[in-house]
Amino acid sequence: MTCLSSEGTRRVNVQPKKLYSQTLIQDRYSALPREWGCFLVAGGSDYRAYEVLRKFCEHGSVFKNVLFFDFCERNKDVDETIYRAYNSYMTLNLKVTKIPCSITDASSCIKSLEKYSKEINCSPTAIDISCFTKPFFFLILKYLKEQIRLKCITVFYTEPRSYLFSKGLLRSYHSSYGALTVHEMPGFPGIDTRCTQKILVVLLGFDGELSSFITEEVAPDETIIVNGFPGYSPKFKDISLINNERLLGTSSELLYARADNPFETFNVLGKIRRSYENTFMNIAPLGTKPMALGACMYAICDPSVRVVYPLPERYANVTTEQCWHSWVYMVPLV
Amino acid sequence: MISDDFYKNPFSEYNANVMDSGKILTYWCSPFTQIPYAAFSEDDVYRDPMPIIFMGGRGTGKTMFLKYCSYAVQREKAFREEKTLCTGNLLLSYLQKRGGICFYIRIDGPALRSFTGHGVPQEKWDAIFTHFFELQIAKCYMDVIRDLVQNGAIQDESGKNDFLREAATLLGRAAATPDINAIGEIIEGNLEEVTAFRSKITLMDASFEPVKVFPSQYLSFGLVDIARRTIKEVSANMNIIFMIDEYENFSESQQRIVNSCLKFVKPGITFRLGMRLEGFHTFDTISDNEFIKEGRDYRRIVFEDILIKDNDYEQFLIDVARKRLESVEMFRNKGISDISIILGKKADIEKEAIELMANRTDREKHFDLLKYGAAVSSIEEIKDKIRWPQQPLLEMLNILWVIRGIEPERVGESMKEYLEGEKSEDAKKYRMDYVDKYKLSLMFLLASAHRMNKKYYSFPVFSFLSSGIVGNFIELCRRAFQYAFFENRENLLEQGIIEPELQNKAAVDLANTELQMIPRIPKYGDYLYHFANNLGNIFREYHRDVFIRYPETNQFSIDIASVSDEKLQKAFNAAIEWSIIQKKATAQQSTPGSPRKAIYTLNRIFSPAYQITYRTRGGYSEEFSASDLSELMTRDVGKPKKDLGKRMKIEDKDQRDLPFK
Repeated sequence: MTCLSSEGTRRVNVQPKKLYSQTLIQDRYSALPREWGCFLVAGGSDYRAYEVLRKFCEHGSVFKNVLFFDFCERNKDVDETIYRAYNSYMTLNLKVTKIPCSITDASSCIKSLEKYSKEINCSPTAIDISCFTKPFFFLILKYLKEQIRLKCITVFYTEPRSYLFSKGLLRSYHSSYGALTVHEMPGFPGIDTRCTQKILVVLLGFDGELSSFITEEVAPDETIIVNGFPGYSPKFKDISLINNERLLGTSSELLYARADNPFETFNVLGKIRRSYENTFMNIAPLGTKPMALGACMYAICDPSVRVVYPLPERYANVTTEQCWHSWVYMVPLV
Repeated sequence: MISDDFYKNPFSEYNANVMDSGKILTYWCSPFTQIPYAAFSEDDVYRDPMPIIFMGGRGTGKTMFLKYCSYAVQREKAFREEKTLCTGNLLLSYLQKRGGICFYIRIDGPALRSFTGHGVPQEKWDAIFTHFFELQIAKCYMDVIRDLVQNGAIQDESGKNDFLREAATLLGRAAATPDINAIGEIIEGNLEEVTAFRSKITLMDASFEPVKVFPSQYLSFGLVDIARRTIKEVSANMNIIFMIDEYENFSESQQRIVNSCLKFVKPGITFRLGMRLEGFHTFDTISDNEFIKEGRDYRRIVFEDILIKDNDYEQFLIDVARKRLESVEMFRNKGISDISIILGKKADIEKEAIELMANRTDREKHFDLLKYGAAVSSIEEIKDKIRWPQQPLLEMLNILWVIRGIEPERVGESMKEYLEGEKSEDAKKYRMDYVDKYKLSLMFLLASAHRMNKKYYSFPVFSFLSSGIVGNFIELCRRAFQYAFFENRENLLEQGIIEPELQNKAAVDLANTELQMIPRIPKYGDYLYHFANNLGNIFREYHRDVFIRYPETNQFSIDIASVSDEKLQKAFNAAIEWSIIQKKATAQQSTPGSPRKAIYTLNRIFSPAYQITYRTRGGYSEEFSASDLSELMTRDVGKPKKDLGKRMKIEDKDQRDLPFK
């Protein structure tokens, strides 16, 4: 298994070759390409949903095609403030192609992308994962790799300044509400044959009940926890631990990966895989989006891995406050 | 410094799914040997040709039981029972003595749920699932055959070769040389075709075209038939039992497919299913007009019934805990292995009441309740007659008697006669009210009057709270040990006790955690949360009734057949499936003199969250109609149906004695 380093090099016994990079953008938009062939973005009401697009526009960047994933659940029957926030991309005066989609059915939406293959093929291609649900961006990246045959994609992500804690810091964050059902991530069923043992790697998030549900459903022989540390804020790693106390008591290992670094998550997963060869490895990406991106990269690289996720009855419309850092990751799809 | 090897929380492993064969044997306590249950014995698992369905809530021990009976654990058991190396012959004779081999199969929820959608018609998915299910059973079967060969239990070389040749043909491949691993590879390869399809169909329209499609029973029964004909070791008097766990996760159409196997079992091949209560989504089979029926096609064993029914439940819990405690060196070395001593054999409510009042500035606040039966101006005078600061619960009973209309002087006298052991009628009545009827209710009321909480502690209370669900008991203990190890390690490790305060924290924590999980229950989470919360709040109101007209009410009755709204009915069934409510084994009168009805209780694990009783006393049950159910599941109600106004009605004054259940 290839090991990726955060400096962007591959640790092998040949001349190091730059495979990817992770860069904090801050105000250095001018250092990034001015022209984008295709930019995929998810409609959302969080302020960070269009932060990257907004900043690019301010710097005079040009987008040939913006594929706007228009989620019916986020745009209909919502209150005025949320509606306005969701549609605030219109003020950017971009030529967008709307792709109608539903949070509950990533697969139908991705299948419909065939119609836009010309637009998607227009390089350079980029995606902003800030407001995509995880099943969507997992499947999009897989689609781009397998159907469009992209070798690499630029991924943007904007951190929130903070998350919304409705009733106190420690136990009140919920990214979703209502009934939960645990599913295989579409396109990532893994391969469980020839394995006698099953492990579950939980990339820890704030919602404790999600990890409990997943653990109960998957019923792994061993559970390994990966907590996001350092997090966007020092307190975040502790909130994750407190809310997942029940899981901690039954897990065999607690590992850490930087919350904003997908490549570190990739490497941690690779390390776990090497320690648990010949097991059916399940990953539950409940933590930050960059960690989930790392899991996605890993699962694309190693199709024997299954990705599981909880599908809630409904997601919270707004879960974060304002914007913090924006990152750009060069993600290889090989 | 305590090493990890020396101390670990004995209750940290609570899920049988994650236990290996060794752990299952170490922790195993049979509910059937502890608790006599005439209709069922462990032997039936191996010998009864009729399919058996094991039902029970989450944590009742179904998986532990099924896994214990499985080939992997029984093989380990056979090896452990032999002092010398267990030979293949001994293993075979052990299995033959048992009467059958159980094959444990669990397909997890995420995998089961992937056989739908993506533009593929459901009938095609059903065919693919049937194919997949047959292969899963075949895989499980071949793994055991391979193990029996490796262990020398199957030695008939020519029989084995015949089996492998025929098995390969059944799988659609011609086997040049009989090789058990090659057969395994064929099965694995077929399963991978299904997985590859499940992956591909999410990205593009694709068709499923395997080398050979396996219809229902083709492999599951076919391989067993071949083995019976060809391998002499597995042909003699040995049932083949497929055990499918977590059947509630199978969709309706998937259950139809498996129900067909149940319906048409063959001699020597049968099924055991583990599932939640109300876990059947359908009783139909894939054949038109054929369905499965209890008694005719299967037997049903309900785990919660077994565990709740008998008083030996407490002994069962003690044994479960003992095995866990003895597996930790720290406790084993010190002989700390009796959970009833660690938690305490009895809750001392009187001591708790005194402690609750200690250092309170408003020590006499509970006397404010007198205003419900006496003029405010006379309260100070009454207090002087019924005060007994040595025991606040006696003061509470005195208050109750006064507001129920008994003269304060007589109340005071009755208390004194009771305390002095006199045999007067009043003293007898006083004793009966205090000891037999109201002590616990008075404690709840005292705590409520002072805006404090009653504590939940001691082994019997944890046993009550667990509601017949052994997993609940283990989780209560896990949390209590966690707190004790962190907050008062010395008491735990040196004295072998956990203070009531820490036990209470564990009980409250678990109640709140379980409540928080309810909204996440698939499909009906919101309904069920409203339902549990409303029930808890309604019962809480009964516990705050100053006249204690319906002491410790925590049950209700409803004629669920009268509910026409299908979603409400399904949600109600889900409440049973997830053990949020529990149906009493027999119908009861909801009020004295009324017709017998099905009675349900709110799972007592939630009691600490609502400050309600931890036991089920019987007697009065709240009666709900279909429209009540709709309200309870969709809105915040929280009010009892009975008028618990602050004035006492004449007919409410005489309460009957009710036994604890």
